[in-house]
Amino acid sequence: MARTGRRQFLGGLLAAGLIPKPTWADVGSPVFLSAAATPDGSYVLCGIDAALDVRFQIPLPTRGHAAAAHPSQPEAVAFARRPGTFAIIIDCITGVEKARIDSPMGRHFYGHGTFSSDGSLLFTTENDYEAGRGLIGVWDAQNGFARIDEWDSGGVGPHDIKRLPGTDMLVVANGGIYTHPETGRTKLNIPTMAPNLAYIEDGTVAEIASLPADMHKNSIRHLAVGPEGQVAFGMQWQGDGPVATLVGIHQMGQPVRLMTANANDLRAMQGYVGSIVLSSDGHTIAVTSPRGGFVQEYSVGVGALSKSSAIPDVCGAAVLGQSIFVSAGTGEIGPLNTGGPTLQRQMNVQWDNHLIPISTA
Amino acid sequence: MKRFLLTAVLAATPITANAQTATIDDIVNAHILPRFQTLAETSAHLATTARNDCSITSQTLQAAYSDAFDAWVSASHLRFGPTEVDDRAFALAFWPDSRGATPRTLAKLLTDQDPVIASAEDYAQVSIAARGFYAMEFLLYDEALSNIGDADDHCTLIQTVTTDIATTSAAILDDWKTDYAARLSSPDASGTYRSEEEVLQELFKTLATGLQFTSETRLGRPLGTFDRPHPTRAEGWRSGRSARHVGLSLAALNDLALRLSNDDLDISERIETSFERSIALLAELNDPIFTGVAAPQSRLKVEVLRQSIDSIRALVRDELGPTLGVAAGFNSLDGD
Repeated sequence: MARTGRRQFLGGLLAAGLIPKPTWADVGSPVFLSAAATPDGSYVLCGIDAALDVRFQIPLPTRGHAAAAHPSQPEAVAFARRPGTFAIIIDCITGVEKARIDSPMGRHFYGHGTFSSDGSLLFTTENDYEAGRGLIGVWDAQNGFARIDEWDSGGVGPHDIKRLPGTDMLVVANGGIYTHPETGRTKLNIPTMAPNLAYIEDGTVAEIASLPADMHKNSIRHLAVGPEGQVAFGMQWQGDGPVATLVGIHQMGQPVRLMTANANDLRAMQGYVGSIVLSSDGHTIAVTSPRGGFVQEYSVGVGALSKSSAIPDVCGAAVLGQSIFVSAGTGEIGPLNTGGPTLQRQMNVQWDNHLIPISTA
Repeated sequence: MKRFLLTAVLAATPITANAQTATIDDIVNAHILPRFQTLAETSAHLATTARNDCSITSQTLQAAYSDAFDAWVSASHLRFGPTEVDDRAFALAFWPDSRGATPRTLAKLLTDQDPVIASAEDYAQVSIAARGFYAMEFLLYDEALSNIGDADDHCTLIQTVTTDIATTSAAILDDWKTDYAARLSSPDASGTYRSEEEVLQELFKTLATGLQFTSETRLGRPLGTFDRPHPTRAEGWRSGRSARHVGLSLAALNDLALRLSNDDLDISERIETSFERSIALLAELNDPIFTGVAAPQSRLKVEVLRQSIDSIRALVRDELGPTLGVAAGFNSLDGD
């Protein structure tokens, strides 16, 4: 009750114009966003506080995926699951939907996006599906999220997108896979797919990092950035037989570093990384595999797997302070370091793919 | 406590080890090997026929092509192991070809009179889009392409493509017989498959992906959207084979699904009933190349057919999957 009271109090102050511009610090909570499915089969977006209580729940028309948090204001954009065409802008104080945007004709969202450093622009990964071209949609966040531009993503099938800290350099995971909404998620170009990491600033591709040719079927899908601009990336193997690695890290101007793991641990992930995070000190990468039911941690310094934990249907992952939090389709959510296969909280929803941190603390 | 644990394990995996081995052996010997055997034989016959008569109007050549293509479609869901080495499956079947790479590449080879068209061995190095059954369909049935270039070159190209198909099909069969069948039948800790359960999961995945492909691609492409149907994106419409492929794939997937579910009579019967329904709906359509997708009433019937296949997918995912130890989690099934 107390929390609700505070939220209503803040909302009231806002309505009365007593607080000129709320910031994340004013909100206090929530600290995470996650899409979810409820027991009655409907889809929602949840705001989750540090005590892992759900602070708000917003209905979504279809299944959600990831979200993008505004860098300074308590505002976030939640995206539909691929090949969805809508995104909703949420006030994270009140949990109220402020606006809704739709992808332009002939485009669909991939489910990820990010804001510019000053929060004035929103960038979304999109598919120009007739041309089979990856795009970054550019939206004016200060003008009702008007569509103002679109840029080449530097590859096919852009999925995750992040911004390097303290800059407006975007990094895009071009998964390499061409799909068309008319054929659902059928992959149309596996023999020729060529994933990459593309760095883009102001519409210009500044650098492209690629994988060795024999790994061209390893789709780079999810990203985590560190304070020094390190980019950890998680992959999804589209080839047959064992995969060489599912995790790598890159820094602009340097070669890609691929992480190693023994064959059995790697195999346990079933060729699939669903989410990736980098610890706040940049020393640990954690990746989740709902298919394998494992979270695996890699030591960045050593370049190798350091720990593997079994958690059924685990997928969401986010860093809060010194801890890595994960969430699962079973409804479990909690920090990793508590040990054991059971997480701290069991909620009455199915947590979807991504856990999005929304505090800048 | 020990007894409790044992009971729990048995409850979670209702199929016993012996039954698992029998199921795998049955699928390898009665489902997989005969399909690749037929593919190799009909492809060899196609290559020989083309060497003797490469005229695109030749009934013998068209019949040989049809038989070999049938054999491929009936095996096309078996996408693991030998079919994936060197992208062999794509070398046999580059479809869907959303960017029109197949006709473009073939036209260029003919226009340039590229010497590669005379060597099946070298031809394996050309763009994968210009190889296989869909390239052959353009060479045999596409009016624009049959008028490009020199007639002798056209003939040579047909002979080369069919020889390449035969070589690829023979290599797949050879790998299955000399190596991969044993990997499935005798899983071991250091092998490709560590347990019978892993083998069954691979076979399950192949069933689920095959159903998905037939629904989303074989039917999804021509259906397009209500406002923008695309009858000429149907598979094999030039040779009149679109509905035939849906029928062949349903028959093959039905066979695999029944073999995978033969230890659970209830699931097995429901699978059979649901396949029968889809096959009956397809027959009722009586629309060989799905031209009906463009007219509202006939389109509805194609949509109903697709929905019936999607209900098989749901049955397979929700009921058959768990009996084979496949996790049906909210995220594990999502794939993104």
